[in-house]
Amino acid sequence: MSETRTLPLAQALPGMLLAAPVLDAGGNVLLPAALTLTENHIESLHRRGIATLAISTPAEPVDIARKREELRARVMHIFRHTVDDPGSQALLHAVLAFRQEQLK
Amino acid sequence: MSGQPTLSDMLARIQRLPALPAVALELLDTLSGSDPDVTTLARRIAQDQAIAARVLRVANSPFYGLQSRVGSIHDAVVVLGFSTVRSLVLAAAVVTGLPGDHCAGFDPHRFWRHVMGTAVAAQSLAQRLHRPPESLFVAGLLHDIGRLAMVSIYPEQFARALVIARERDCSLREVELEIFGFDHTAVGAALTLRWHLPEEIIDALAYHHQPELGAPGGLAPIIHYADAISTALDFEEAEDTLMPRLHPATIDALGLGWQSLTEVLADTRTRFESYRLLLG
Repeated sequence: MSETRTLPLAQALPGMLLAAPVLDAGGNVLLPAALTLTENHIESLHRRGIATLAISTPAEPVDIARKREELRARVMHIFRHTVDDPGSQALLHAVLAFRQEQLK
Repeated sequence: MSGQPTLSDMLARIQRLPALPAVALELLDTLSGSDPDVTTLARRIAQDQAIAARVLRVANSPFYGLQSRVGSIHDAVVVLGFSTVRSLVLAAAVVTGLPGDHCAGFDPHRFWRHVMGTAVAAQSLAQRLHRPPESLFVAGLLHDIGRLAMVSIYPEQFARALVIARERDCSLREVELEIFGFDHTAVGAALTLRWHLPEEIIDALAYHHQPELGAPGGLAPIIHYADAISTALDFEEAEDTLMPRLHPATIDALGLGWQSLTEVLADTRTRFESYRLLLG
């Protein structure tokens, strides 16, 4: 899981992951999305007068916890009348585990 | 219409439903075991461009992992086999032929997402339980077809059923029985009987909510669970999605352990991402 934030070029560091392509004023792609920045890239963008970048950052643990809780609440909502039914137990627990795993 | 419609009224009006494309009816006919003329059928399928385009979209999706792009129905049959292409064509034909878009509160897109999820869950269960994957896919695809017929023929009454089910937060099937005196399983079975589908598929449609009443060794238990798996994976994405009640002895008898069930969930999710391309 990752999230996108816009960062001034001055704060960009080597190793950061581009969430979106960097375009020049004419709409030409200078750097593609999903590229890991190097010092050379950053210098080149300074020379081109680029002001900001879209950077992909790992989600904060607190966000993952919130998403887990939202997901759990959604699954429990779907099972709201059958949460204690013997026939539903295996599916309820398997789907909770599976969908939580997908968040990682 | 005055008073409560009967199942006979309903069946008499089924003729009003848009017909499935002729090629779909021919394919359904081949499900009963009649010997298909594959070359002629492939040519017929290719002539329906709307269907062919959807089928090729799925054939070229990552799920099948083909080395090179399939450009024609004929090639798809060669690479994927007639049985797989037949399932895809039937799904595309049913989705395009029976849109069901004239009932307040009924969302055809969500309906088809749930149905497609059930069809691929049934396929996935078939693989692990060594049951016929194509019959189960078709049964999953058609398991709620009776609901679509009710929506098309009695849109006002069905819209009322939707409102009541939402207000009471109960299953739509309960309200169908209350308003119509019959439910979508009875309509689906009657409709597919007219389409001359194999008995095992009709039985699965008729008893997917009461699998204990289906034919011994039949497909109803698997559609019963596939319906629940599709609901649990939330393909429909509806606010009021409600898990149907599962029959414990039926679920136990399937003998699906934790590991297998987890694999079915993952496999169903993957298949769905490809098969949803049939929805346009």
